[in-house]
Amino acid sequence: MAVKIKTKTGLIDISNGVIATVVGSAATSNYGVVGMASKNAIRDGFDGILNRANYRRGVVVQSEDNEITVDVYIVVGYGLKISEVSRNVQDSVKFNLKNQLGIDTKAVNVIVQSVKVLDE
Amino acid sequence: MVLKEIDSKKFRDMVRVATHRMSQNAEFVDSLNVFPVPDGDTGTNMNLTIESGAKAVAQNTSASVGDLTESLAKGMLMGARGNSGVISSQLFRGIYKATQGMQTLNAQELANAFSNGVATAYKAVMKPVEGTILTVARVAAQEGANKANETDDVEEVMAAIVNGAKESLKTTPDLLPVLKQVGVVDSGGQGLLFIYEGFLEGLLGENFADKYQPDKGEMDEMINAMHHQSVQSQLATQDIANGYCTEIMVDLTADVPNKKPFDLEEFRSHLSELGDSLLAVSDNEVAKVHVHTEYPGQVFAYGSQFGQLGKIKIDNMRIQHETIVNDSEHKQADVDFAVIAVASGNGVRKLFESEGVNRIISGGQTMNPSTQDIIDAIKKSGAQKAIVLPNNGNIVMAAKQAAEVSDIPVGIVPSKTISQGLTAMLSFDADASLDENVENMTAELEMVVSGEVTKANRDTVINEVEIHQNDYLGIVDGDIQVAESELIPATVKMVEKMVDEDSEIITIIYGRDANQKQAEQVIAALKQQYADFEFEVHDGGQPVYDFLVSVE
Repeated sequence: MAVKIKTKTGLIDISNGVIATVVGSAATSNYGVVGMASKNAIRDGFDGILNRANYRRGVVVQSEDNEITVDVYIVVGYGLKISEVSRNVQDSVKFNLKNQLGIDTKAVNVIVQSVKVLDE
Repeated sequence: MVLKEIDSKKFRDMVRVATHRMSQNAEFVDSLNVFPVPDGDTGTNMNLTIESGAKAVAQNTSASVGDLTESLAKGMLMGARGNSGVISSQLFRGIYKATQGMQTLNAQELANAFSNGVATAYKAVMKPVEGTILTVARVAAQEGANKANETDDVEEVMAAIVNGAKESLKTTPDLLPVLKQVGVVDSGGQGLLFIYEGFLEGLLGENFADKYQPDKGEMDEMINAMHHQSVQSQLATQDIANGYCTEIMVDLTADVPNKKPFDLEEFRSHLSELGDSLLAVSDNEVAKVHVHTEYPGQVFAYGSQFGQLGKIKIDNMRIQHETIVNDSEHKQADVDFAVIAVASGNGVRKLFESEGVNRIISGGQTMNPSTQDIIDAIKKSGAQKAIVLPNNGNIVMAAKQAAEVSDIPVGIVPSKTISQGLTAMLSFDADASLDENVENMTAELEMVVSGEVTKANRDTVINEVEIHQNDYLGIVDGDIQVAESELIPATVKMVEKMVDEDSEIITIIYGRDANQKQAEQVIAALKQQYADFEFEVHDGGQPVYDFLVSVE
């Protein structure tokens, strides 16, 4: 699956891996997000924080027409307002997909997979 | 004069002025917002965040700075909005951690607190971007720490923190290209500078009242806001401890017999013992007080020692509250999708409400609501569609009839027991369609085995169980299966019949005629056999059934 964008001069085909990288980078640049988590929490180990190369395991992209729905699996730092951090992730993912790839997002679903206690 | 420490009074001033400064400049900060998402709400968000913290501080009457930083941090956490709000809430969380238990702060402690705030704030970010609020906070704290090595004057340290923030803010466009492109400084950093500047002003304000004193309009606004908060209709009228909302103005210039010198802090602390929701402000001429108390007379008597009483107002809040509760019975309805459950007992009602049920119809085994009662409840909900949980076999028919004549689509989930109703609610999804919900919730009914324990009112034999009057009956999914003369063994025996190999959770809701201790005795007995199970106990307060038990 990939997102196809039709232009006058031809077709642009953006693979899901590219989208996952943009989404993952946007999500993790948000304050309070301490990592991406795998969507298959049990198989990949529950607390596993993904490294950059593996972001796509924490991002699910579904596309239809020129719109996509993204699920983002994140780990949030303890002591932060989780709902607000998640909202920030939604905003920045949406913004960056539009800004960098020109893709409109139908929905950004944030799944807080784990909370990490940061030493005080 | 060198100021060597910040006490709780100073700290309150700092928070108040900072909040005021932030709110006055929120729009300006909004206008700078281009990073990380240019949505122009950084100032608004920071303002809401610090206001929430300031409110928590205002409600805390403690004289210890450590307690106040804790309230500030918690209030900011609860009210955190947007990225900048979350970051500042974390900054102040670190400040609170470093000042825990401290009565006052000296210069070194103040600097350490800011440094710890920065350390805590940096921990919660994977890729700190330089040129943002984090940079500004870091440089500011660094300057504060440097200054604290030279002096023990807290004002100088705070001034150094502000200067550090100011200098750092200027460099943000060089650090973050997107700012340079638009030609602005970082909005979050600017917001933080406003807050720090407010701190410094609050600290310097020897004539604090001149610099910032809520005027009458603001005071009224604060009072309204507090009233708005406290008259939640969830609160029962009888739970109001201080029944009279009392307001007085004291003309401090007027002569009275035995006139006492006025000190706002002392005045406040005395009044805080007479009631809660206290607001007291003053200038040289007049003091204005708003307090919720049970003894308005004492407030007058105390106030009149300092001058002549001007305006006086008392409202009986219990009467006001009853009116509001009655009004909100009709107002609360504005939902699109209502869930209506039949239940009795305060605890059971609360359990349903906590799961998202909008309206409760009183009823159950001994008082079945009529079709009309159910229709009324559906109408009152004002919803576009509704689901009814009858929670009793005898009410399912009435609910179905109500659904047929209702003006809006109504689905019935044929729950026969409270336990089934509670379990069905777990799969309610307000965003799904009526049919989907009915289907999903009905499917849940089979997941739970319901048990009810009640007293027999006559001798009889049912299902080959011999029953004597006043025996405790264990009813499993509607069939009497156990009769015992004692409550605890009857309940344990009943649960034994309910458990199968897939069971995991046992929930016990004790009724009006039973208590938590008895529920715990049942659990203690059950734990011997079912060590791996999870047990839950709730106070249902329901009539008729001593225990409602569900096994899932």
